[in-house]
Amino acid sequence: MLQAVITGLLLGGLYALIGVGLSLIFGIVKITNIAHGDLMIVATFFIMVILNHLIGNIYIALLITIVVMAIIGFLIQKFLINKVIDQGAETAMLVMFGLSIAIKNALTLIFGAGNNALPSPVKGTNFIKTDLVSISGQYAVNFIVAVVLIVGLSILMDKTPLGRSIRAASSDTMAAELMGINTKTMYVWAMAITMAATAVAGMLVGQTYSFFPYTGTQFLIIAFGVVVIGGMGSIFGTLVGGAILGLAQMIAAYLLGTAYQTLAGYIILLILLTVRPQGLLSKRMRK
Amino acid sequence: MADKNMLKQKDAMPKVRWISLAVAVVVLVSLPFWGGDYIVNIFTLILMYMAIGEMWNLLGGYAGLVSLGSQAFIGLGGYSLAIVSQVLKLPFLLGFLLAAIVSVIFALLISFPIFNMKDVYFTIGTWLVAEALCVFFQTWGFVNYNVGFNITVARTLGATAMYFIAFGVAVIALLAVVLILRSKFGLGLMAMRDNEAASEIRGVKLYRSKLICFLISAAITGLAGAALYLNLSYIKPTVGFSIDWTVSMVFIAVIGGMGTIEGPIIGAIVFVILRQLLYNFSGFSMLILGVIAVVMILVAPKGIMGLINKKSGFDLFGVKRKVKISDFQTNEDN
Repeated sequence: MLQAVITGLLLGGLYALIGVGLSLIFGIVKITNIAHGDLMIVATFFIMVILNHLIGNIYIALLITIVVMAIIGFLIQKFLINKVIDQGAETAMLVMFGLSIAIKNALTLIFGAGNNALPSPVKGTNFIKTDLVSISGQYAVNFIVAVVLIVGLSILMDKTPLGRSIRAASSDTMAAELMGINTKTMYVWAMAITMAATAVAGMLVGQTYSFFPYTGTQFLIIAFGVVVIGGMGSIFGTLVGGAILGLAQMIAAYLLGTAYQTLAGYIILLILLTVRPQGLLSKRMRK
Repeated sequence: MADKNMLKQKDAMPKVRWISLAVAVVVLVSLPFWGGDYIVNIFTLILMYMAIGEMWNLLGGYAGLVSLGSQAFIGLGGYSLAIVSQVLKLPFLLGFLLAAIVSVIFALLISFPIFNMKDVYFTIGTWLVAEALCVFFQTWGFVNYNVGFNITVARTLGATAMYFIAFGVAVIALLAVVLILRSKFGLGLMAMRDNEAASEIRGVKLYRSKLICFLISAAITGLAGAALYLNLSYIKPTVGFSIDWTVSMVFIAVIGGMGTIEGPIIGAIVFVILRQLLYNFSGFSMLILGVIAVVMILVAPKGIMGLINKKSGFDLFGVKRKVKISDFQTNEDN
């Protein structure tokens, strides 16, 4: 049981990192990025390609991927979402849905439907190993990287001029524009930052699990879970959401068997959505 | 009562409409007698996809309920058929009855939690329900876990019989949508779609209207699910509850034109023909469909039907209400 709790909490860190991008985009651009999971898997595949064909070092590969994903985010926001955002959130969501289908099938076409894995320097090692609990090195790394990155994102949003402009653009579009902020440009920046963070999540996911072109959906649902529990748009909420979801899954797996791990996650989400449709931690929106 | 006159349906092009409807019916009913097997099969697919496209459109285009969980009802329909014909060994037509009943009951059950969720949360919620259902069927012994069923009765059925089943489902779907939209209830729906708050103040019962649409859509999607799996003759959870079903429904509605009746008809024709053309490049077909859908939303957000309607004002089923200016004037004179 103790093992399940600790693994669940550590897993929650990774979940939070997967969800934070979705949460940021919902909070700032006010759209639900249904292609979030697929874009993350694109990053994972990109790292794999660089490792196989260009450079053997995974950290350099990650750096390149972060830049590439930021550019992809930039392009998506500038040439797709910004074009339809005035027609409402649902239209933008349908556009991302189309993008998600296109990505999945393009990846299948290039890489086939089989399983892939990324190498990891800490694979198979243990961070802590006692008779009572053991923590795998990968889970510990995931957790630490996730927490550092989420704290970093939160500082970026709260303390820097860019972050302030982005928040201004999202909290009162009209006022921000009157103050000389181009809100749509801010959305583009937000998406680029988000995609850069998502690239890191993509690497950790690739190191922790095997992945294939259709895995994106699975992680999208996890990201939804994290964000729904933590509250859409709240950066620190994703940490709490991730921890709760991770705990729920691990405890369900411990009590009922691993077959019910996924189902338990869905059911907890549905219950939470029913009881607190606006998220567990989110404050009431002030108008 | 000037009020009633104002809302009377005025036909823009009554003759064109009736002639085209009559031609369509004659062609479709006689099709198996002059068309080859290949043509009949294509039309069977078009009719079934049209039905599910219409049902998604009823939710997404009219009731303001953007669902990504409609595959739940396709899967339930398919499994109902499989259980009736394979496990219970009863006539397979009873499977259609069960499909509709099970779908409505399931829709009613999930409506309690799902209707608490607003907008995006509703969309996510419906998807989660479908995913949970898929996982549940994988762990359920009664439906053979991951393995699923071979629906053997399908092999004894000829192409013509299958065609008329699909035709029946399509007619039910179309009739349901046309009748709903031409009724007062449908007027309320469209008011709700255009401005929820205003329509509620004017007396449209939001919750009840949405629920009725949700249940009707569930029942007919379930029926279509049974028909689709009668045609496919094999069902398993990961395919029956696959998001791909909803992908096609969204595509059909978006391409044809969301919030129009004719849209899904055009959308289904485009969808099935495109898929058939791209059959030899599997993998490419969905990629291209995804790209087309995105481009369509960017270029023509109202779909093909939106373009036609804007150019000529033509609409096949006359659900649009046109207000006569004179009605307004007499109204004010009184």
